[in-house]
Amino acid sequence: MLLADANSPVFSWNLLADFQEMWAYPFMVNAFRAGAIVSVVCAVVGWFMVLRRQTFAGHTLSVAAFPGASLAILVGVSTSLGYFGFCVAAALVIAALGRKGRDAGAEESAVTGTVQAFALACGYLFISLYKGLLEGPTALLFGSFLGITTGQVLLLAVVGAVVLAVLAVIGRPLLFATVDPEVAAGRGVPVRLLSALFLVLLGAATAEASQITGTLLVFALMVVPAATAQQLTGRPGLSLLLAALIGLACCWGGLIAAYYQPYPLGFFVTTIAFTGYVLAHLGRALHGALGRTRGSSFGLGGAA
Amino acid sequence: MRAVLPRSVRRHPARLVLSAAAVAALAATSACSTSSSTAKASPSAAAGSNTIQVVAAENFWGSIATQLGGSHVKVTSIITNPDTDPHSYEPTAGDARTIAGADYAITNGIGYDAWSDKLLAANPAPSRTTLKVGDLVGKKEGDNPHQWYSHDSLYKVIDQVIADYKKIDPADAAYFDTQKQTFETQTLAKYNQLESDIKAKYAGTPIGASESIVTPLAESTGLKMMTPATFLSAESEGTDPTAADKATIDQQISGKQIKIYVYNTQNSNPDVVAQVNAAKAQGIPVAQVTETLAPAGATFQDWQTQELQGIADALKAATGK
Repeated sequence: MLLADANSPVFSWNLLADFQEMWAYPFMVNAFRAGAIVSVVCAVVGWFMVLRRQTFAGHTLSVAAFPGASLAILVGVSTSLGYFGFCVAAALVIAALGRKGRDAGAEESAVTGTVQAFALACGYLFISLYKGLLEGPTALLFGSFLGITTGQVLLLAVVGAVVLAVLAVIGRPLLFATVDPEVAAGRGVPVRLLSALFLVLLGAATAEASQITGTLLVFALMVVPAATAQQLTGRPGLSLLLAALIGLACCWGGLIAAYYQPYPLGFFVTTIAFTGYVLAHLGRALHGALGRTRGSSFGLGGAA
Repeated sequence: MRAVLPRSVRRHPARLVLSAAAVAALAATSACSTSSSTAKASPSAAAGSNTIQVVAAENFWGSIATQLGGSHVKVTSIITNPDTDPHSYEPTAGDARTIAGADYAITNGIGYDAWSDKLLAANPAPSRTTLKVGDLVGKKEGDNPHQWYSHDSLYKVIDQVIADYKKIDPADAAYFDTQKQTFETQTLAKYNQLESDIKAKYAGTPIGASESIVTPLAESTGLKMMTPATFLSAESEGTDPTAADKATIDQQISGKQIKIYVYNTQNSNPDVVAQVNAAKAQGIPVAQVTETLAPAGATFQDWQTQELQGIADALKAATGK
C-alpha cells in the first residue's frame, strides 16, 4: 500500500494547523520533545566528534546500545538504563584500552573495532536468550518514535542537559586538544583526560539518539548535521550552532513525514539529513567554481 | 573529512554550547506549551455519543468485539493482514493515532503484542478502558499467547467485553446483554458443535503440530498433542528448535505415531515445510490453521469453523471414524 488510507490525516502545508493536529496526540508531543532534545545534543557532541575524527568510535558506541537494550529487555529493566549503561561502559573501555602518543589514532581504531564486534555478538546472544517473543529487533536497530513516555522524555532531558553542561565547561580546552594535541599537552592541557571524558559524553549522546533513530541510524543525527554545517561555514561557533539547527530540522522534519506517511522514521530523518548534506556540498562546489572564475580568493572558509 | 580550523577556533566555544542548549530547551518547551492548549482537540469523542470507539490489537479480538457491540461500537483492528507475522509487527503512526483516540482497547498481552503496551503508555488517557486478555485469563509472558484458540479463554473474553461495554455505555446495557446472548447461542453455535463433535469422536487421538498455536485448540477438543512443547514454542517465538526435538518429530512422523499433522500457514519455515512433506509422504493427513483471520474479512466464527472442519475431515480420513 503506497498511499495512506482514507482516514489518515493529510499534510496541509498550513504548518500551524498541522502542528495543532499532531500535538493533539500525547505520543506525538513526546516524540517532538524527545526529538528536539536528542537532535540538539547529538549535533553538538557530533560536531566535536567529526572534528576529532572519531566517527568510528561514535559508531561503535551506538552499536553498544543494541546489546544494552536487548539485555535490558532480557532481565526486565528499563531499556533506557540498558542504552545508557552499555554506551557509557563501552566508552570507558575504549578510553581505558586506548594508548596515547603518536600512534594513538591507529591504536584507538583497532580497540574500537574489537569492542564493536564484541558488542554486536553480545546483542545477538541476548536476543536468542530471551524466551518470550522479542518485540521487533528492528525497532532496536532502526528506531521507533511511537512509544515514548513522558518519563523517558524527562530522562533524555536530564542526561542531555548534563552532557551539554559538561561540554560547555570543557569545550575550549577540548577544542585546543583536538586542533593540536601536542601543543595543548605542552601547555598543560590534560589531553588524555579530556579525550576520555569526551568519549563518555559521546556514549551518553549516542545512547540518547539510539532510542529515537535506532542504533544503526545514529549517525543521521550525530555526523550528518555536523558535516553539513562544516561544509557551509568554517567559523567554529557558527557551524556548531548550524549543526544544532540542522539536526533539529532533520529530526522534526522526519517526525512530520513519519506522521503523515506510514514509513519508518529513521528513513525520513536520514533522507532529509543526507539531502541537506548533498545540497551543502553542491552549494560549496558551485560557490568555489564561481569564485575561481571571478578570480576572487575568498572561499566558504576552511582549507580547500 | 575536511578540517575547519581557523584561528577563531579558540574564541568562545563554551558560550556556543550553552546557546545550543538554549535552542534545545526552547524547542522542547515550545512542544509542551502548545500541547496543553490543543489537548482539548483530542480525537476521543466518547462523551455524548453512543458509539464506543474500540481498538483491537488483532483482528480476531476485533471481530468478536464488533459482533458483541453491534451498532453501538466502532471497532478498528490493527493487525489485519494475513500475510504478516503478528509476532514481529511494527506499529505505524496511524496505529498510535487509533489507540490515542480509543475509548476501549483490547490487546492480547502475554508478550504477543508488546508494542501495544508501549503505545498505550505513550498515550495516557484516564477515560480509556483496557482489556489485556493475558491478564484476564491469568497467563503471563512466556505462557502460550494464542488464547483465542482456547474455548474457555474465548468465553471469559466475551464476558469481560460485555461487562466493559456496559460500564462505558450503561444506557445500552440491555442491548449488550441481548448481543451476548445472540453471540454465544447462535453465532458460535456451529463452532461449539464442531468442537464437541471432535471431542466426542476423536478425544485422545495423537496429533502433531508445527507450533504452540495448536496447543489450546488441542486442549479444547481433547486431542493429544505429541509434538514436544519446546519445539512448539521455539517455532512460535521464531527461535531455533533443538536437534533432539526435530529427531523426535521425525520419528513420530515416520513411525506414524501421530494421526494428523496441523500447521500454521502464517508462520511456516523450512523445518515446518519439511515436516508437512514428510507427513504427506507417510499418508498422514495435514490440516491448516492461521494466526489471524483468513481471509482477512472473515468473521471469527467462520474462520474457526472452517479450521475445525478441516481438522475434523483430516481426523476422519486418518481414523476412518
